[in-house]
Amino acid sequence: MTAAPPPVRSIRQRLISRPEPRRDQDRAVLVMHDVTMEYPNGNVALRDVDLVIPEGDFVFLVGPSGAGKSTLMRLIIRDEVATRGQVVLDGADLARLSRRNVPKIRRKIGTIFQDFKLLPRKNVWENVAFALEVTGTPRRKIRPAVDRVLALVGLTAQARQVPSQLSGGEQQRTAIARALVHDPRIIIADEPTGNLDPLISWEILQLLLRINELGVTVLMATHNAEVVTALRRRVVALEEGRIIRDEVGGAYHRED
Amino acid sequence: MIGFVAFSLKRAWQGFWRNAVMSIAATATMVLMLLLLAGFWIVQTGLLAGLQFTEEKVEVVAYLHTNASPLQVDLLTQRIEALPEVESVTFVSRDEALDNFRDSLQAQGREDLTRYLDSNPLYASLEVKLTDPSFNRAVTAALEDEVLVRNVLRVEDLVDRLLTVTGILRTAGTGILIVVGLIVLFIIVNTIRLAVFARAEEIEIMRLVGASDAFIRWPFVFEGAFVGLLGSVLTLAILAAASDPLSTFMTGFFNVLPLQFGTLTRDLVLLVTAAGVGLGVVGSWLSVRTYLIR
Repeated sequence: MTAAPPPVRSIRQRLISRPEPRRDQDRAVLVMHDVTMEYPNGNVALRDVDLVIPEGDFVFLVGPSGAGKSTLMRLIIRDEVATRGQVVLDGADLARLSRRNVPKIRRKIGTIFQDFKLLPRKNVWENVAFALEVTGTPRRKIRPAVDRVLALVGLTAQARQVPSQLSGGEQQRTAIARALVHDPRIIIADEPTGNLDPLISWEILQLLLRINELGVTVLMATHNAEVVTALRRRVVALEEGRIIRDEVGGAYHRED
Repeated sequence: MIGFVAFSLKRAWQGFWRNAVMSIAATATMVLMLLLLAGFWIVQTGLLAGLQFTEEKVEVVAYLHTNASPLQVDLLTQRIEALPEVESVTFVSRDEALDNFRDSLQAQGREDLTRYLDSNPLYASLEVKLTDPSFNRAVTAALEDEVLVRNVLRVEDLVDRLLTVTGILRTAGTGILIVVGLIVLFIIVNTIRLAVFARAEEIEIMRLVGASDAFIRWPFVFEGAFVGLLGSVLTLAILAAASDPLSTFMTGFFNVLPLQFGTLTRDLVLLVTAAGVGLGVVGSWLSVRTYLIR
């Protein structure tokens, strides 16, 4: 712990000292404009979705299963391309992105899933380092970056353990560390607490909030009503592919 | 660039051993398929050598008038040898013809009848070897035009039939070899596809964290090449172990054939290694492609 530089400071400073001055409309990390997603089988997953997420926001994405939450996230990581409308991430129109540039945009996104998606044969440190190795990061930069994010999520002591030796919460923290190691502009979390008990879920949420305080935008899809209602953050509700509610300080359910 | 290659090689090596069961299954399939391919290739090579040997047996024999002088025969031999269709010309004198006849009678264990003869009844002849058996008509015609030539042994029908048979055998052999090659390709590609499928989650993670296509693909391609190389080495080892008893049998059986084991071995090593590594690379490339294209 002592060896790593204070992580809080380093991330915040990087965000403050961005070289180019940014105009206000560029400040949005994600802009979705009139997005419709129709799958080849005719299933319309999203209809006319407009969504702007400014830098530093913390957004809950709620709605019943099949409402389009997963599709929305798959559009952001450009696993799919919208049938109509624009998805702009960090100033780049994803529909116009060439194949070769897709990996580069994905490095600006940290993804977290319900099932963690860790490699079972690699230990915590290697799982996090993997994200840097496969993107061609020089070896000398990998070590300090991995040590820093592991300290941030509090897993320095477990660095040499493999996922099967960890609790669910620790596995999810490993996944969060991996999502953070690229210094992403936005974290996309799809049901990150879905497999965890309530206490551990709160722990993971505290961690995501802390990361958000460091300046990283967070978009989290969840069914966890208790958490959403308690935190009073921005809530975007989807139903049958449409945004039916988008309020700051909202609860999980509509309060009229 | 060097870092990328080192990374890919390291990942390929890890990938092979971390999924040892799948890798060994893929290698075993590779060995079996390469043995099949090599076996068919050896049979095909033997068949071709046999066919060529048979075709070389085709020659045009021209019998000469008894009054031909040695000088005239020499000139005739030179003229015939100058024909582009002709490989070589051998002159068999009347005495040699009689000796050959005696030898063949003796070889068949029959009584030597030649001692009842007053004089040698046989004609001297030119035995003309052709560069290709299909030229026999042209050469026969050329020989029949010569005044020294008494008659030419007509072999057109025989040659035509022989050429039909060897043509069919060559086409069939090549066809079977191609079919076997395709079957081998499909089986190996599918086996590697299974091995890649077992690591679909790893590929998904790589895509999610923003690995470029090259970083995802090349470790698998190297791994496929490694499986192919290992498979071909094992195949060649098996063939080498089996070659001693096999070649004793083969040389005993195909005694007459001009099979050269030196070039056969060299070609076989090249074929097996190239097929193994090539199939491994192609198989991996195609398998990973499925996961890259979205």
